[in-house]
Amino acid sequence: MTAGMHEFLYKIPGITDGYRPGAHRSRSRGAGMAFAGHARLFDYPDPRRIDLHASLSSLHGEWLVRTSQQRSAVVIKVVVDVSASMHFGASTSKLEVVADFLLALGYSAHRAGDSVGLMAFDHEFREDLYMPARSGRGIGNAMAATVRASTAGNAPGSLQGLSECIDRIAGSGGLVFLVSDFHYSLDGLATVLDKLGDLLVVPLVVWDKAEIEPPAEGGLLSVRDAESGRIRRLWLRDELQRQWRDKVARRRDELGALFAASDMRSFYIEGGFDAEALSKYFLEHVV
Amino acid sequence: MPPVDFAIPQLLALLPMALLPLLRRRRDSLPFPWIGWLPRDPVGRLLHLTWQLIAMLTLGFIILGLAMPGRSETRIERIGRGAEISILMDRSSSMDATIRRNAPKLGEQAQPSQSKNDAVRKTLSWLLDQRPQNRFALTLFNTAPIRVAPFSDDVALVQAGLNASDIGRGSNETNMGLGLMAAIDGFNGRSYTGSRAILLVSDGGARLDDDLRLRIQRGLKRNRISLYFIYIQSSPNSPNLELVGTDADASLEEVALHVFFANLDSEYRVFQADDPESMAAAIVEIDQLQNLPLTYYERVPRVDYSRACFIAALSCCIFLAGLTATRLERLA
Repeated sequence: MTAGMHEFLYKIPGITDGYRPGAHRSRSRGAGMAFAGHARLFDYPDPRRIDLHASLSSLHGEWLVRTSQQRSAVVIKVVVDVSASMHFGASTSKLEVVADFLLALGYSAHRAGDSVGLMAFDHEFREDLYMPARSGRGIGNAMAATVRASTAGNAPGSLQGLSECIDRIAGSGGLVFLVSDFHYSLDGLATVLDKLGDLLVVPLVVWDKAEIEPPAEGGLLSVRDAESGRIRRLWLRDELQRQWRDKVARRRDELGALFAASDMRSFYIEGGFDAEALSKYFLEHVV
Repeated sequence: MPPVDFAIPQLLALLPMALLPLLRRRRDSLPFPWIGWLPRDPVGRLLHLTWQLIAMLTLGFIILGLAMPGRSETRIERIGRGAEISILMDRSSSMDATIRRNAPKLGEQAQPSQSKNDAVRKTLSWLLDQRPQNRFALTLFNTAPIRVAPFSDDVALVQAGLNASDIGRGSNETNMGLGLMAAIDGFNGRSYTGSRAILLVSDGGARLDDDLRLRIQRGLKRNRISLYFIYIQSSPNSPNLELVGTDADASLEEVALHVFFANLDSEYRVFQADDPESMAAAIVEIDQLQNLPLTYYERVPRVDYSRACFIAALSCCIFLAGLTATRLERLA
């Protein structure tokens, strides 16, 4: 499978601040199709763009040139949860799915001319997995490899780690992907998300089929929490399967409400990464 | 009853190993990202506790079994009543031969062919069934006496010895004198509590030398033993000893023996084995003699409980296997 097959389209609402030429609307003047205004030839010495009609009607009798708005590139940041729970997965681990996403993102961003940076956290910011934003063809592969190589350990994910990451990107513009399974206490998540008010934040909720859907057959099930190590033993039957599904649904509602309050909309990755679905998400929900 | 003890008590030092199932192993549980999603389940907890308990019991039973618990060999007091009968049975090769019978008369069914040994065992089994409260001993003889069972009121023991005499073939030689002496010596050192009898079962006679005759005579008299000779006729031509007097011609071995016995001071009767009425008469006769209660000790061999322990451990294992079969090995 080539990276091209996983490409997804994204866009950013409004006008961005980027100066590098790219694909998004921005305030920068430069080569572009959208008319921005007139400027004195003295200020923009580009005689090819002299607007005769405007010059003639100029009050000061100056030569005026047309200026246009340049489309700019943005900086994309990916914040990835690499806690022990993200290493879980019945067939492929959730981090493998995240790596697929990063590959696709790298390819898509390269096509749009945007740069991508990676930040990872578990219970704290992971300095060793940090990749500053850069643009280039292989950036997706590099990020995927970094995430795949992260060790399993039993470090718990926490809001503290997420908060440390967000503190580093708050205030800058652009697009942020928050990739996590959100398997930690959500108290205070709203406060943390508020710091990202001026960015477009896409929360990617990564869950595995095995954790949201109970096994079809009943029986004795003994599970160990990947992070806390607590053990729970169940005699799996219809009643418990229903309770299990109820709890997943409740968590979904809880997360949905939290993100909605911060004007975000979560995108669920359950099982495998579907680039087309993500394109659809941007088309439908990002105006 | 003696207390339970262990043949290899050192192995009990391994008993703390029975606590091993209390340890948690990573292999026993599947990893899960967010345990908050799983409801608490008292049934699951209970099943796990049961599993731990049964696994501990299994290990405990195995270690106990290896230490071989049991009740040591002991002697128990028994009170018996009735006559003491020592069965002295011929186990020479001639006893394996079939009994030859008269040709059937006109209109009569031919009698089934039967080996002498079979006939005797049938008769003696019947005797044992009739008198379960008597104490019996069993001695076989051919070239040498074989003490099979000492005096006991355990009829099953004697019966088992009797059944075992059916196996294999006997030796050609017969040394009745040694057999008789062995049976007589069996009474030595026992207090006289009831009438004593030797039941000599044989199909032939024996020439006994004078020395042996004297010893047999003295032995029977000293121990006050009555002698009952159950004679098996090999063929219609064998002499009918019940009809032979004490002054008969002693050129035949059987007759010579019969005459010797008959001339002893001790009580003596001869019976034909194929004649149940005469056997019954013999029993009644023995019974009429004095019967005193007798206290004697019986040796009870060590009772081993390790087998029971292993069976218990095995059933525990089966339960554990059943429980494990219901365990889910993977999610989704």
